[in-house]
Amino acid sequence: MANPLQQFVIKPLIPLNIGGYDVSFTQSSLWMGLAVLSATLLMTLSMRSKSVVPNRWQNVTEMIYEFVAGMVHEALGHEGRKYFAFVFSVFMIVLMGNMLGMIPYSFTFTSHIVVTGTLALMVFLTATLVGIFRHGLHFFTLFLPAGLPVFLAPLIILIEIVSYLSRPISLSVRLFANMVAGHTMMKVFAGFSVMMAASSGLGMAGAVLPLLINTALVGLEILIAFIQAYVFAVLTCMYLKDAIELH
Amino acid sequence: MNDKSGELARKIREAQERQRQMAAGGNDGSGERGKDEKGKALRAGTDLVAALAVGIFLGYWVDRWLDTKPWGVIFFVFVGFAAGFLNIYRSQTGQDYKVGFKPGAPDSKTGRSQGENDKTE
Repeated sequence: MANPLQQFVIKPLIPLNIGGYDVSFTQSSLWMGLAVLSATLLMTLSMRSKSVVPNRWQNVTEMIYEFVAGMVHEALGHEGRKYFAFVFSVFMIVLMGNMLGMIPYSFTFTSHIVVTGTLALMVFLTATLVGIFRHGLHFFTLFLPAGLPVFLAPLIILIEIVSYLSRPISLSVRLFANMVAGHTMMKVFAGFSVMMAASSGLGMAGAVLPLLINTALVGLEILIAFIQAYVFAVLTCMYLKDAIELH
Repeated sequence: MNDKSGELARKIREAQERQRQMAAGGNDGSGERGKDEKGKALRAGTDLVAALAVGIFLGYWVDRWLDTKPWGVIFFVFVGFAAGFLNIYRSQTGQDYKVGFKPGAPDSKTGRSQGENDKTE
């Protein structure tokens, strides 16, 4: 029986070694490239006609655009226009990574903590740098709540800093864990089906049950793929909001 | 004939009424709220663990640095827990990770920040 975690193994397609580092072009790189390509093609090709009455593809693109635009506007207000491109890119790469991963025989690159961690760190550093550039050293008053008694300050500042540093970790672990858990579960149920079908008599007939569950799981996974991309983008907005507003 | 056009006029009125309500934000509120609740529930678990992990990591390095073996980790586990619960508390009360006790709306500022101070102490 195939190991349900086998699907997450990185396989190099074009082995490369530069300066002692393994920088092979792997199937993960391939699917990342495909995610960028498919997102770009979806956006450009569907908007080519720019009709007032949209066709289906244009409708999809407009829906995604308005969804993210609404999210950014809600969190950041008018000020958020500058950051729309950033949030939109983050949303699209995560969404495409999750959704392409739902295609059989494909690879879900968002199921690797390296990928989600890099994305989360990028978001975290962007938000922090935006805050520092906008507010200078005043940015660090973020860690000092207003009206705090002096004798509590050392403890609270410590807690606030730990809370702030935990952001990229929870952001990356959430996406990665959801993807790994979902895809493992689907594989396990698929494995049940195969094992039961290989047996004889009643087991063979029962093989259809895990298949039914798996059908439902695929639907659930598509929902989770979208929700996780949404959560990732919303939190990006929230972090940017903290950095911009500060008060 | 007359009956039909009357029905059509009624339908148009109803549709216009619905549109007005949607523009006023009656529909908007409930939809956005539902989405938000789902997101919040999904966030809570990792928030606690992540803050705890940061706490243990910091404690470990403080121990290595100051040579104070178990105490750094012991202290920072508690700090990490506090930060984790702070994360959850903030996301559940709709402050969404705002570091520092600064609720968005200026009019509720005093009331809300008071309550939060009490809770975190």
